[in-house]
Amino acid sequence: MKKKVLILPSIFFFLILSIFFYLLIIERNPSEVPSNLLNKKVPVFEAKSLFKNEKFISSNGFKNEITLVNFFATWCKPCLDEHVYIKRFAKEKGVKIIGINYKDNPEKTINWLEDLGNPYKDILIDKNGKIAIDWGVYGIPETFIISSNGIVKYRHVGPITSEIYRKINLIIKQNE
Amino acid sequence: MNRSILIILTICLTQLTSNSSYAVEPDEILKNSKFELRARNISKNIRCMICQNQSIDESNSPLAKDLRILIRDKIKEGNKDEEIYKFLTDRYGDFILLKPPLNSKNLILWLLPFIFLFLGIYVVFYHNKKSN
Repeated sequence: MKKKVLILPSIFFFLILSIFFYLLIIERNPSEVPSNLLNKKVPVFEAKSLFKNEKFISSNGFKNEITLVNFFATWCKPCLDEHVYIKRFAKEKGVKIIGINYKDNPEKTINWLEDLGNPYKDILIDKNGKIAIDWGVYGIPETFIISSNGIVKYRHVGPITSEIYRKINLIIKQNE
Repeated sequence: MNRSILIILTICLTQLTSNSSYAVEPDEILKNSKFELRARNISKNIRCMICQNQSIDESNSPLAKDLRILIRDKIKEGNKDEEIYKFLTDRYGDFILLKPPLNSKNLILWLLPFIFLFLGIYVVFYHNKKSN
C-alpha cells in the first residue's frame, strides 16, 4: 500500500517531465504568438487603394480565391528582403496578393514598386496603423493566408525566407 | 557607519516615493479627465506586444502609442471598458492582457501550483508516517 502511495506522485512527475521534453523537441518557436484570427473570418475594414479610385471593402475583397495579405512599408528593411518571395508567389504560383502599405508615404511606395516590381493585385493604404491593429499585427512585415471563403488560415510574423516560402506554398496547396 | 545607513535609507525612500515613468504624450491626453483616467487605467493593463513586460502606458513604441490613441478614440465613441478589452483580445488574444484571466484555456496553469503543493504534502505525510 505504501509503495503504491509513492508510485502515484512519481508517475505524475514523469508525465510532466515528458510533456516538457516533448515541447522541447517539437518544431516550434516559443517567442511566436499565434494569431487570434486563425480560422476566423477576415476583419471587417474599409481602405483607400493606392492605385485604384474605388474603396476596398473587406467583405467583398476576399472571395472566390486564396489571397495572400502582406503588410509592408518602404522604410522596412525586412520587407525589402522578402519582396523577392512575394514576387515569386505572384509570378510562379499566380497567387492573388493584397498589400497593406503600413504608415508609409504613397509617393515613395509607388517609386519603390517601380524599382522592385509590383506583385500586388491591390495595395491598401494604412496611414495610421488602424488596419494593422484590426489584423492583430504587431510588427511588419506580416503575411496572412486567406482561404477562398474569407477565413484566415495562416499568419507569419517577420520576413518570408525560403523555408517560410515553402511552408506557405504547402498551406496554399492544402487550401485549394 | 551611521552615515552609510542614512544614504542607503535615502536611496530606498527616493525609489519608493518616485513616480513611475509614463509614455503618454501631451497631444494624446483627453480633455475630459474622467475619460483620460479610464484610458490610463485600461492602458496600464494592456501589454506592449513588442516590449519586455511593459504596459502600453509605459512604452514609447509606435504600436503602444497607436493602441493608446485607439483606446481613447473608443472611449470618446462611448465604448465601455469591457468592450475595449474585448476588441483588443479579439485581435491580439489574452496575451495582450498583463494579468491573464482565469478561463478554460489556462485553468491548468492556475491549478498546477496547488496540485504540486498537495502532492508535496501527500508525499511528506506518508514519508513521515512510514518513518514513525
